Amino acid sequence: MTDEHSATQGQTAGTAIDTTVPHSARIWNYWLGGKDNYEIDRVAGDQFSAIYPGIVDIALADRAFLGRVIRYMTDEAGVRQFLDVGTGLPTAANTHQVAQSAAPESRVVYVDNDPLVLAHARALLTSSPEGSTSYVDADMHDAGTVLREAAQWLDLSQPVALTFMGVLGHVVDHEEARSIVAGLLGGLPSGSYLSINDSVNTSPALEEALRVYEASGAVPYRTRTPEQFAGYFDGLELIEPGVVNVDDWRPDPGSPRGPRIPQLGAVGRKP
Amino acid sequence: MSTDDEPLADISGPTVPRMILGNQLHRFREAAGISPDRAGYEIRASRSKISRMENGKVGFKERDVADLLDLYGITDEETRGGLMTLARQANAPGWWSKYGGDIMTDWFEEYLGLEAAASVIRAFELQFVHGLFQTEAYARAVTLLGNTSAPADEIDRRVGLRLKRQDLLTGPRPPQVWAVLDEGALRRPFGGQAVMRGQLNRLIEVSELRHVTIQVVPFSRGGHAAAGGSFTVLRFGDDDVPDVVYIEQLTSALYLDKREDVDHYLEVMNHLSTEALTPAQTPQFLSEIIKET
Repeated sequence: MTDEHSATQGQTAGTAIDTTVPHSARIWNYWLGGKDNYEIDRVAGDQFSAIYPGIVDIALADRAFLGRVIRYMTDEAGVRQFLDVGTGLPTAANTHQVAQSAAPESRVVYVDNDPLVLAHARALLTSSPEGSTSYVDADMHDAGTVLREAAQWLDLSQPVALTFMGVLGHVVDHEEARSIVAGLLGGLPSGSYLSINDSVNTSPALEEALRVYEASGAVPYRTRTPEQFAGYFDGLELIEPGVVNVDDWRPDPGSPRGPRIPQLGAVGRKP
Repeated sequence: MSTDDEPLADISGPTVPRMILGNQLHRFREAAGISPDRAGYEIRASRSKISRMENGKVGFKERDVADLLDLYGITDEETRGGLMTLARQANAPGWWSKYGGDIMTDWFEEYLGLEAAASVIRAFELQFVHGLFQTEAYARAVTLLGNTSAPADEIDRRVGLRLKRQDLLTGPRPPQVWAVLDEGALRRPFGGQAVMRGQLNRLIEVSELRHVTIQVVPFSRGGHAAAGGSFTVLRFGDDDVPDVVYIEQLTSALYLDKREDVDHYLEVMNHLSTEALTPAQTPQFLSEIIKET
């Protein structure tokens, strides 16, 4: 049903699903109202939201931001190629669905190295007949592998929209996160776009919730300063309205506004 | 599985019988041309109560069900008996469906209703090729195996029913079907080698459908595959309807919809899906088995 290939395929990934600690993608799925989560994730998710109730607003706002960004890419920037790093478990309105509903010929490559996420993505994220949806099983640190694999489906001489939606906080060290972004963007041509959303460190309650989350044994998630977040876009032309709260990035007219959340988003164009 | 009369574990909730009974009541009401208001009046309730009942959102008073069936002109004792049983189950948390013999067919037909209502069907098959993917010859071989003394026309009807089920795959809004097949299900030559080769080719064809994903767990992988039997997880589009685990038995079927049970089966299914060959690797593996069959 899909074109799919990856450098690491053939490895038995089953043992890599650890159900004894909360799992980021499954908790996110829980916050978004999905059913692909276990008791341990629901407990961790509830514990998180007890400390920081805004997390569900963040989950929903991130999803809405993703939708508006992808529609901007297809409708206004004319992009037809997407490299989505950090796929997550399938939910409503995934990148390829948004892109292909506007431009059916869109080609989307999802990058993740979580076996559970990859298995779901391969089975459930199915492409439009006109376009393609593919999956790269790789670590985002490994820009060379990601780009080489992505090149099987994307024409890397043409603009690509590179997205990191709520994933860079998984990289504990900020400089390392910067180099991941720079490494992948470096392999894309002029006229390509970068979009990121992520949490910033302006909410003590969120910081506390993340500390408790980390103590549960889950993979840590780190916020950045607003300046660090903006720094991801150094050297790019920021698309209006620039680096803003995700809810303020080209909101749909008349759409209801959620509560303020420490979540920034932006889109930049590679000159 | 136990077939004696000891009280069975409180292992599944009332959701499935509610859905099934509600669906039946809806069909009977529509067939009788009776409005929700009129039906509500009959049982001293509102139109929205009727709607909630028909959507399987609430329990059922047996008296209400009996009154509605009277109103809808349902007099057949067997039908009424089956529905009253469902009404009791719809109120009693924890039930195993333990229908025997002739009524089993009705029950399986209801499963087909659930299957048709599902938005995602995840199946693990240890021994047989999944019913949604069977060729007629394979379905016949498997049916004969389980009904050695059945007359020919009964075999035909059973095979016909199985094939009719597959209309789902070509319908206007097919569910996403994600099946994990153990290699054993592909190696056991039901109906002989020619039938099996035809069946394996069918699997390759079906796997090309956009909404179908097939993954094989080779013998060389999958300790988890040995840990349990075949099962199916049905997911419905409505966020409020929980996933349902369906486990077919020799003379009945088991439905689980309590969260801890569903969690456990989803976890096993996820392990299987990650251990199996990827959807892209699977056709090649199927081709190799065809050569060896």
